[in-house]
Amino acid sequence: MKARTRTNLWFQLALVLTLGTLMAWGPAVPVQAQDVVVKVGNIIPLSGPSASVGLQGKQAREMAVEEINAAGGIQSLGGAKLVMLYADSESKPEKGVAEAERLINTEKVHVLTGCWNSAVTYPVTAVAERYGIPFIVPVSVADKITEQGFKNVFRIAAKDSWWTRDQFAFLKDLQEEFGTKVSKLAFVYENGDWGKGFAEQWKKLAAEQGYEVVLDEPYPSTATDLSPVVQKIRRARPDVLMLVSNAADAILLTNTLAEYKVNLKAVITSGGGHADPSFLKAAGENARYLFDIVEWETDINKPGAQEANAKYKAKYGQNLTGEAVDAYLAMYVLADALERAGSLDPAKIREALAATNYRSGPGMIVGYDAVEFDETGQNEHASLVMVQINDLGQGLERITVWPKGARRAGYTPVFPMPAR
Amino acid sequence: MTRRHYNKMAAAIVLILAFGLPLVVRSATYLHILVLLYFYAYLTTSWNLVGGFAGVLPLGHAAFVGIGAYTSTILYLQYGISPWIGMLVGGVLASFVGVLIGLPTFKMRGAYFALATLAFAEGIRVMVENIDRLGPFVLNGPRGLQIPPLKLGLGNLVFASKEPYYYIILLMLLAVLALTWVIARSKLGYYLNAGGEEPDAAMALGVNVARSKLTAMAMSSFLTALAGAFYAQFTLYIHPKSVISLDLSFEIAFIALIGGRGSIAGPVLGALLLRPVSDFSRIYFGDTLPGLHLVIFGVVLILVMIFQPRGLQEPLTRAYNRLLDRLAPGQTKELGT
Repeated sequence: MKARTRTNLWFQLALVLTLGTLMAWGPAVPVQAQDVVVKVGNIIPLSGPSASVGLQGKQAREMAVEEINAAGGIQSLGGAKLVMLYADSESKPEKGVAEAERLINTEKVHVLTGCWNSAVTYPVTAVAERYGIPFIVPVSVADKITEQGFKNVFRIAAKDSWWTRDQFAFLKDLQEEFGTKVSKLAFVYENGDWGKGFAEQWKKLAAEQGYEVVLDEPYPSTATDLSPVVQKIRRARPDVLMLVSNAADAILLTNTLAEYKVNLKAVITSGGGHADPSFLKAAGENARYLFDIVEWETDINKPGAQEANAKYKAKYGQNLTGEAVDAYLAMYVLADALERAGSLDPAKIREALAATNYRSGPGMIVGYDAVEFDETGQNEHASLVMVQINDLGQGLERITVWPKGARRAGYTPVFPMPAR
Repeated sequence: MTRRHYNKMAAAIVLILAFGLPLVVRSATYLHILVLLYFYAYLTTSWNLVGGFAGVLPLGHAAFVGIGAYTSTILYLQYGISPWIGMLVGGVLASFVGVLIGLPTFKMRGAYFALATLAFAEGIRVMVENIDRLGPFVLNGPRGLQIPPLKLGLGNLVFASKEPYYYIILLMLLAVLALTWVIARSKLGYYLNAGGEEPDAAMALGVNVARSKLTAMAMSSFLTALAGAFYAQFTLYIHPKSVISLDLSFEIAFIALIGGRGSIAGPVLGALLLRPVSDFSRIYFGDTLPGLHLVIFGVVLILVMIFQPRGLQEPLTRAYNRLLDRLAPGQTKELGT
């Protein structure tokens, strides 16, 4: 009997203590809510061959996340802050997969982003899909990344096949703007995977849009003399010459074309060697009036772009790049989705991302006007930017000309090219 | 209680532990490590049929892992054939290739055999890396193949959690251990042992050494390929460097040599010891000292070869026997290998 009373006494004491503790902690609950954080796992190449672009992606993410957190974090989650976790892929697929497993299973991240190298991004999509973790891909161009029927992959930037699509869209707009008709095209490209892939798309697009292909010429990128190719171009008499070149051959072709005084209405190139800083130095005046396709250019005419670039340059000592801008935008797209999701449940975040319609805000410093994902997870509005190389009195520079909404204020493209 | 009882009890305890582990280990990361541990124990046990019993040192078993992984993945991706069937097809293909390699190389002795198998596996890797398409089959060269985890379930051998993989590889490991146990007590086992230790003497006694070695090779490569298919389904992504790499071939040999080749327990003991070293050195030193685990393996191998040339299974078996002597004295029956 006595023992039972004692048990009761202990029980009552425990009850009082428990209730008391609960009451004491009661008002403290909002404090805990403020400690809610969104864990963002980022897999990027921080060492190895792609380390420099990986670093740009990391810096751009950091800048965006600092801004988002400073502006009060995610309001619908009680001002939750974004916490960034970085993992180095070393540009190796198996490392990327291992890190994705670790970030999801050990670090319990709510969202993944990455991985720049298409070869790494591709296997990581399967890991994210298996665990149902939304995976935002700022830049990784391989088409197949969003063509696997996965629900958890969201790509912000344009995919491979859109580069050629945009070159042709630009060509069409150019003809309309200047009233000059283009009918004959010449395709000259390096004979690797990249060049052949582009040429295949070009031929399809030319057939669809009623252009006549007067020359279809692959060449080895390592050639030391390209005058036979240039002779062929001259004889074929195209209106527009389209090129895919690596570094040395881009310079050689451009200089040889000038030497033989080949007259063309326009030359449209595909980044790569033509976007390399060494190209403008070595080709000089011969490169003038050439149109090149890129992801982003610093002179882009978008509200906030100059400011963001200036801030980035002050912070990290270099200009924003296409890769960095997409990573920067990705963080704002994520913040927007989290705000609408109001939950840390990956499935809810995925739903919110799928319903994204991001049109204005600090992240919108890219060449296109909106982020909206189609059912494959590809941003439908992503597009590329065309630049023209010209000298406006300060030496040769790359001037954004297309899409028209992003064109440098006060600049009119030169088309057709003046005769040499 | 007799020794038999104790042996049975020990086996039961190990089995209960193995099957119950996922109930305690909830972390996906640790389960992943355990799955790979069993995977390597399985590979090494399969390797052991040739490398242990037949007394030669094959260093190219990654080629069979690759054949299994690629066959089942290609059949699944391109023709929608269940990986379980693809696994068997891969196994048959691998044993065919195994016999092809065995025919000329089993005539070689010692290092020559090791080098020939090593060169062969490297050759296959370089070929796969440079072939995008082989007839109607898409290999994708160095970019590898990915299995989309869209249709989950046992039929497709794709799961969202690690537990099913854990039990499947555990059952595979137990099956291959049982098979090894049976073979070790069969005529084939004695032939292999005789041919491995004293081939001339064995032949003089009328043992067809070459044929028993080829049989062992066919079985070993068949079993290895099954694990390759399992690995593809487990990681969902294979490429030449992941499934046909030299590292993989070496790691199998390391585990066997350190654990004790030619014994049943050796490969499992080796995997138990070396896999955690490999995983944790990768987790903690992966960034600063990549490849550290191979250095540690090397050091361990040297030490084991100097002090325990028959592998770690030997002192452990002896300790176990001594324990049994204490518990059931007077019955000095030798415990099987």
